[in-house]
Amino acid sequence: MIARTTLLDVENIAIRFGGVQAISGLTFSVHNHELLSLIGPNGAGKTTAFNAISGFLRPSSGRILYRGQIINGLKPYQIASLGLVRTFQKTSLFERISVFENVLIGLHRHAQQKSWESLLALPRVAREEAELRDRANEIISFVGLGSRGGGRAGALAYGEQRLLGVGIALAAEPQLIMLDEPVSGMNPTETIRFMDMLQKIRQRGISILLVEHDMRMVMAVSDRVVVLNYGRLIADAIPDLIQKDPEVIRVYLGQEKKIA
Amino acid sequence: MKRAFIGLWLAILISAPLWMGKSYFLHVSIITGIFIIASMSLNLLLGFTGQLSLGHVMFFGIGAYFSALVSLGFKLEFGDHIALVVPPQPVWCGFLAGIGAAGFFGWIVGKISFKVRGAYFVIVSLSFAEVLRLVALNWVSLTQGPMALINIPPFAIDIPGIWQGKLYGDVPNYYIVLCAAGLSYVIIRRLVGSRAGRAMIALKENEALATSIGIDVTHYLVLASIVAGAICGMAGSLYAHYIGIIDPDVFSFIYTVTMIIMVIIGGKGTLAGPIVGGLIFGFFPEFLRGNVPPEIQWIVYGGLMIAIVFMLPEGIVPAFKQWFRVLRDNAAAMWSSRKQAAVKD
Repeated sequence: MIARTTLLDVENIAIRFGGVQAISGLTFSVHNHELLSLIGPNGAGKTTAFNAISGFLRPSSGRILYRGQIINGLKPYQIASLGLVRTFQKTSLFERISVFENVLIGLHRHAQQKSWESLLALPRVAREEAELRDRANEIISFVGLGSRGGGRAGALAYGEQRLLGVGIALAAEPQLIMLDEPVSGMNPTETIRFMDMLQKIRQRGISILLVEHDMRMVMAVSDRVVVLNYGRLIADAIPDLIQKDPEVIRVYLGQEKKIA
Repeated sequence: MKRAFIGLWLAILISAPLWMGKSYFLHVSIITGIFIIASMSLNLLLGFTGQLSLGHVMFFGIGAYFSALVSLGFKLEFGDHIALVVPPQPVWCGFLAGIGAAGFFGWIVGKISFKVRGAYFVIVSLSFAEVLRLVALNWVSLTQGPMALINIPPFAIDIPGIWQGKLYGDVPNYYIVLCAAGLSYVIIRRLVGSRAGRAMIALKENEALATSIGIDVTHYLVLASIVAGAICGMAGSLYAHYIGIIDPDVFSFIYTVTMIIMVIIGGKGTLAGPIVGGLIFGFFPEFLRGNVPPEIQWIVYGGLMIAIVFMLPEGIVPAFKQWFRVLRDNAAAMWSSRKQAAVKD
């Protein structure tokens, strides 16, 4: 076994919407180079947990640490600039501009030019812009949209839009990328292609936190699975054990019956 | 091709005073130019960050008043014994002061809009402009209120020992405005084509996604507001020194509306949009004035506006780009089919 360093620690967080306890006492962690899946029935609090980690929501108690640094209370852009980048469940793109420009915007964190340098059109700005364009093209072909760079993002097919969403997040150079139901709306072929891409993302040394409903995919790609139900953690184990866990089976099938 | 087109444009603009003849047209061109500069600055906010600044004229007024006051000299009294007396400064000092002050107000507006977007930003900016108009109207000891600031000196060139002169009249002012417009265009173009500009477009298109990939949208909104404020302040300053008299009406809401019309009709979010829109709505009323009875003028003006918005909702420049693309594609298709036919023969 390699020594495990944790990347993300979620410690005992709770989130309340008015009288509804969306999440209570949730604790889990993501290790370096790991692919962790977060699953659970609808309304279990998966997306809420995502929003809390990425700074779009504030937990009412508990701590979230990224590389040992407390990040709850930081703004979303600050969390992203630490290298913790998310995608959205509903497709979220810059729809009215081209695919290429979408990825170029995603490279914001990578670009170094200051605004006054751009105003003076220093030579290094032009050099950097050329480098950014190459990089954007590289990312577009990485997510398999090689021929679509010039088209409007909003005009892509649904599955392609999801790929572009991942491409934008990758452009922000995450160490941990959080994918919120990335294959929803994809057909089986596209899903298989997406699973290949997840492996390629991992080869780049990027850890992944995945929320997904497609169980076949979750069980195939995950190193470890965390199960939520009504905002509580009910299981945290490797996929094989999760599939046999009676509590998980009960939650998903609603009855304490024997599963053949 | 593109270079030739730009060259032709520049040649027309630079030679305009030679062939325009009647100085009245030159006067209209100067006023149009000043409004084009202001519209370009509005377009930076409206077209690129997506924030409608309905009080944009405040920057114009601030630029005009600061520039005029600094070049006329002023006295600020604090209580009975302390007063700040500023003697008249050279016009270029006033010009820079106007730009700086408007940029500073741009910073304040940007900061205030820290949490307010959309409709709230509209209200904040609108109230700001109205408050400033009331200040200009009522702070009579400083601004002369409704009596207006008069005898504002024109731009002057002062090279000690060699030449010195005041740039009265239309021809020098035309070139000053042309240079200022060129400068503003270059600044905005470089800004929106850079990392900062992409961040602004990201804010306009999808704020949640922008923040999720690490863009501090507030920072770029403030930056856009400062640059837009400063450029609009420059337009106000040019106006003050060209006309020579300003009153609190420079804060009038109708000027903001004029700028918005120019931007929307020309095509918001495009670099050429405010220029095209500005040229049309700067010269068109003058053209009507000469050819159509007055009661018809406003009907034609309004009708044209409705027609353009209905037929070209994105504005003139994007529509033309679209036509051009279609034409080029058709030409390319025809060319390749002709080639194929030739091969067959």
